[in-house]
Amino acid sequence: MNFLVNPSKFNEIADYIFKPILILSIVLFALGLLFALYLSPDDYQQGSTVRIMYVHVPSAWLSLLTYGIMTLYSIVALAFRIPFGFIFNTAVAPIGAVFTLICIVSGSLWGKPMWGTWWVWDARLTSVAILFIIYLIIIFMNFSFENRVVREKVVAIFILVGSVNLPIVKFSVDWWNTLHQPATISKLSKPSIDPSMMTPLIIMTFAFMMIGIAIAILRIKTEIISRKSYLS
Amino acid sequence: MKFLTKITFFFYREYKLNLSGVQDILTNIIFFFVSIFIFIFSIGPDKETISLIGIGILWTLLLLSSTLSLRKFYQDDFENGNLLIIHLNGFSYGFIAILKTLSHFIFVQIPFLLSIPIACILLNISNEKLIYVFTSFTIGSLILSCLGSISSSMNLMNQRNYLLGSVIVMIFSVPIIIFSVGIINLEENFYSLTNILFGILLIVFAINPWASGLCLKLSLENN
Repeated sequence: MNFLVNPSKFNEIADYIFKPILILSIVLFALGLLFALYLSPDDYQQGSTVRIMYVHVPSAWLSLLTYGIMTLYSIVALAFRIPFGFIFNTAVAPIGAVFTLICIVSGSLWGKPMWGTWWVWDARLTSVAILFIIYLIIIFMNFSFENRVVREKVVAIFILVGSVNLPIVKFSVDWWNTLHQPATISKLSKPSIDPSMMTPLIIMTFAFMMIGIAIAILRIKTEIISRKSYLS
Repeated sequence: MKFLTKITFFFYREYKLNLSGVQDILTNIIFFFVSIFIFIFSIGPDKETISLIGIGILWTLLLLSSTLSLRKFYQDDFENGNLLIIHLNGFSYGFIAILKTLSHFIFVQIPFLLSIPIACILLNISNEKLIYVFTSFTIGSLILSCLGSISSSMNLMNQRNYLLGSVIVMIFSVPIIIFSVGIINLEENFYSLTNILFGILLIVFAINPWASGLCLKLSLENN
């Protein structure tokens, strides 16, 4: 597991796994879209609009997952002085921002036919919007410091402080009485979703994850190169 | 005993500095009142409407005017080297952050608290609600001081994007606004919401020395 914290090892492994991951993501996208658009049934209440779920839910999960991994890497980087964490934070923040934006836009498009409005000030929606703004602040911070050492550490501290938002996003549907429905798939109980809809959802989640990993590998490699040219 | 003397002198120095720059604090308060006027002119002088949304206006403006003075939080001491001198006198960076937060609360936020009754008269908020307004503002402005300390210490070395500090404070103050306005509007839930606000205060007060101290140390080392 050394390649997760060591830049040169990461470069070696990334060269091996980049093409398989890209091909896997294309295959999974084709399969997932086939399942999502043709093979899965319509909802008995929502009709065909339920198919927005196959984009909305994976991007929402991945936006939270990306921030969680960034938090872990910030702790590792600050506590053990491992610079790969800073590289990871700089590289991955725009990917998380894009996932959050996809989640917000698709949710808005889903909300108009179902709830009758593009946006409500409900706890889940507001906290996700705040997550998006936190991602944007991280990206802007990466551009606005001249000293590289200060920039990286300050961004890591900001990510740690901003991670208080994660449990609020996750549990907002349980703590407050919101318009957004509570979590359908949870670890402790049997999922309240039919297997015919569960299958495309899982496939789409893995497809999103693979395309995210592929872009992350490219961005991390670029970041390593720019850092080397800066240090030398 | 020597430590307490040092702390006393620290606050005496802050008092002198703030007294010589008292026009800044007064300008902040004038900004607060002029914004109230502008809000009322843009909404219209209808008494019912104003008393309905008055609390929200008060809180928004307190937040905006306390983010105005954010650049001065550490910047002056950082640039003329006083921060390093205070640190060499035996205060850790985290403790400096706590002291600066308290001094910001005492010398910048307390004048706001004193001007709130006048603002309540202007916004047609009833006298019975004044005690709730005061409670929520006292706790909330201490939280705002802590957040201001975190964001301004983060942006010490940031020479390009000054507004980022204000945005950081505003994005983290969303839960404070929700619960503080809840204290005033839902009087039957006064104690539970006050407890939640105190909990947020304790969390922020615990994070503040760690985050600000680390950022101060980084900026001083790499300056």
